[in-house]
Amino acid sequence: MKDISLVKLLPMEPKIPFISARMIAGVLSVILIVASMVLFATKNLNYGIDFTGGVVAEMDFKEQPPLDIRAAVADLGFEGATVQNIDPPKSSDVKYQYVRVGLKLQADDASSGSDDTVDSDAAINPQQAALIRLTDGLREEYGDQVERRSQETVSGKVSGELRQKGLLAILSALVMIMIYIAFRFEWQFAVGAVAALVHDVLLTIGVFSLTGIEFNLSIIAAILTIVGYSLNDTVIVYDRIRENLRKYKKMPMPDVLNLSINDTLSRTIMTSVTTLLALIALYILGGDGLRGFSFAMIWGVIVGTYSSIFVASPMLLLLKLKRGGNTGGERKED
Amino acid sequence: MLYFSKWKTITILGLVALGFLFALPNAIPKKKLETWPPSLQRTINLGLDLQGGAHMLLEVDLTSVLEQETENLRDSVRGALQEAGRIRTEYLRVEDGAVVGKFRNADEVNAGYAALDNVPEQIDPRQLAGPKDSRIERVGTDRFSVTITDEKLEAVKERTIDQSIEVLGRRIDPNGTTELTLVKEGKDRILLQVPGAKNIDEIKARINKTANLSFHLVDPDSFNAGAMRLASEGRMKPSQAFYLNADGGGGLIVERRTKITGECLKSASEGLHPERQNDPIVNFGFNLRCTRLFSELTVRNMGQQFAVVLDEEIITAPRINNPITGGNGFIEGGFTLQSAQELALLLNAGSLPAKLKIVEERTVSAELGEDSINAGKIASIIGLVGVAIFMWLSYGLRFGTIANMALTINIMLIMAALSLFGSTLTLPGIAGIILTIGMAVDANVLIFERIREEAHNGRPPVNAIETGYRLSLAPILDANITTFIAAVVLYLVGSGPIRGFAVTLAIGIVMSVFTAVIVARLFTATWLRSRRPKALPI
Repeated sequence: MKDISLVKLLPMEPKIPFISARMIAGVLSVILIVASMVLFATKNLNYGIDFTGGVVAEMDFKEQPPLDIRAAVADLGFEGATVQNIDPPKSSDVKYQYVRVGLKLQADDASSGSDDTVDSDAAINPQQAALIRLTDGLREEYGDQVERRSQETVSGKVSGELRQKGLLAILSALVMIMIYIAFRFEWQFAVGAVAALVHDVLLTIGVFSLTGIEFNLSIIAAILTIVGYSLNDTVIVYDRIRENLRKYKKMPMPDVLNLSINDTLSRTIMTSVTTLLALIALYILGGDGLRGFSFAMIWGVIVGTYSSIFVASPMLLLLKLKRGGNTGGERKED
Repeated sequence: MLYFSKWKTITILGLVALGFLFALPNAIPKKKLETWPPSLQRTINLGLDLQGGAHMLLEVDLTSVLEQETENLRDSVRGALQEAGRIRTEYLRVEDGAVVGKFRNADEVNAGYAALDNVPEQIDPRQLAGPKDSRIERVGTDRFSVTITDEKLEAVKERTIDQSIEVLGRRIDPNGTTELTLVKEGKDRILLQVPGAKNIDEIKARINKTANLSFHLVDPDSFNAGAMRLASEGRMKPSQAFYLNADGGGGLIVERRTKITGECLKSASEGLHPERQNDPIVNFGFNLRCTRLFSELTVRNMGQQFAVVLDEEIITAPRINNPITGGNGFIEGGFTLQSAQELALLLNAGSLPAKLKIVEERTVSAELGEDSINAGKIASIIGLVGVAIFMWLSYGLRFGTIANMALTINIMLIMAALSLFGSTLTLPGIAGIILTIGMAVDANVLIFERIREEAHNGRPPVNAIETGYRLSLAPILDANITTFIAAVVLYLVGSGPIRGFAVTLAIGIVMSVFTAVIVARLFTATWLRSRRPKALPI
């Protein structure tokens, strides 16, 4: 039986001097991280209402929406609102566009003191009140056929909690991963891996600040998945380093690192390619709801692959990894 | 590594077959599925963002309930002091959630403290031998502070939330036909999910109304202009209360205390006025106890007015012309048929023990959900095909096929697990599956690369495969356990759709390790045994 394998991506024993390039890579990484942090500090992120509190409502005008909606919304007292026309769902038979109005509203339940609503039983928060005001206002302006198709409101309090939870999620994941790696390898590996992960997270925040893509709850999920993916890569390389350290007792440390990266290179590339294939399909075909998420993931796969080669491994040199420590006694040498 | 005993092979294949069986219902049209045995009818539960519906997070206003509870305690303290021989206090008020007071006369202090010990416990019918309700502290020589115990506070909070959930369920789904989700979330919140909901504003109106109904005798002061003016500024006797009319025209002073409340209602229904057929009304029937109370009240107060108060507004204030002894009556008050219907529904469901505030709300139309599912399906198929072609190109027909079979089984097992656990598939969850498609081959790639390497180093085929599998195991486990940690963290701190993503990711990790390390190895071993190749086609 003849079998074919058309592509051998790389020579069987690639000898790319990754470790020698570590200085250049290091400088590049530092520049990118600084740039990300500067962007974050100056331009900040385009937070979604998950994190700012606010209202997003989709309005159906029963016809192609009038052109002066932006002004009408501003007239209702919502100056900072975003107004955009969006296509209706494909599976509905609506032929005109809807209007999506987004409004950030951090204010929280301050109304308890000055209760100016006559309706005493409606304990309504500012977001709900804004939603009602928006709908009623647009109806008054454009007629009663105006309808709300869907809505999202997040109160200031809940958004604060979501912010906190998101940060907590990322930090606790990093800590738990560090503990696991320190337990399985040596502390230098744990520090190196987490350094690579922090690198990835910071660059992801940077790219979101740069592009102004909405930063919402699902992006937190994407970042945690990036953390998982990048770590996957890093652990594979680390595992090979551990193995090669035992195999080549005389080889200088930089050479061992370089050899290990090259050994696992074809796997690194293969997995990156297959993951990117799936993610690009998702980015292009997955619809609006997942675009930000898949963008973050695509970026994360690229950065994660880079960091496991150029950050995680050189960090071991920087941290002066020694031979003969706890390099995993549970596996037999062959 | 490459030897599989017979029972092991059977177990593995059996698991895969079971996976197939449980994944299958998802591919069968709903109509046909109904004829299957019920244990096989389980399909993947779609999240609200995929099937459309309303998701709301409601905050229960516990502060006002606790305030009320403290006021009740103050009344009990006052009562106890009265009963013990009219012991007078200089002041008795609520301060920082405690009832504080000071005795006026030094010679009454001891009797006063003794009386405080007899503050009646409020008996909670649900708790037979409950903990003590209040704690009494002496402050200085003649002052005291009475607080509600923490246990009692907890009990009150819990009861308030439980009751709110019960009432909400009856209000939003009176016929019990919708698959509502109504659960407590965190300390003081309720999660409400209504799949397929279209009438969001109607649901909101039902949440926003507490529907506190009570019947009060109208105080004669209502007909005294001076007293009315003071009352509208909030100044009146402690035994009185002032409520505005619901239709906006003035108000009435009524007796604050009443025994006829919403709890008296046995049933309510909308109807038409017996004489004026165009006026919608709400009919009600009292339970036995209140029938007696109400009959006594009407007999004693013939010719007077009583006010029907709903959520601190007077709906109507009819005069008692005849004693009402049958326990049935109706409320009129300028209803439309729809508002009468709505009020009857609220009254039947009971009143909410506390106000509810919508702190988070997301609605998705069913069409948008359908769009998302379709987009997800297409993206998955394209992703799957792309990855499969790439694997064939990279590892050749033989090993490419093994990897792709493993991948297909992997997806199938994820579907089976999702159906079996009844976990919910959300939009981010679909992203999780697509991501798994890309990452699932990782374990196989690791193994194949290792085999390739070992073969290149001169090992004979069987030995190379054996070594490849053995040496890949540790890195595969390490890499997947760390990702699994991320998924667990995501589940623990995430909410809603994010949790759905975490679940699919975690299931995907477990299944991909199982398929790559065990199922694909079985295939490889079987192929090796049947062919005994001299060189590896990899």
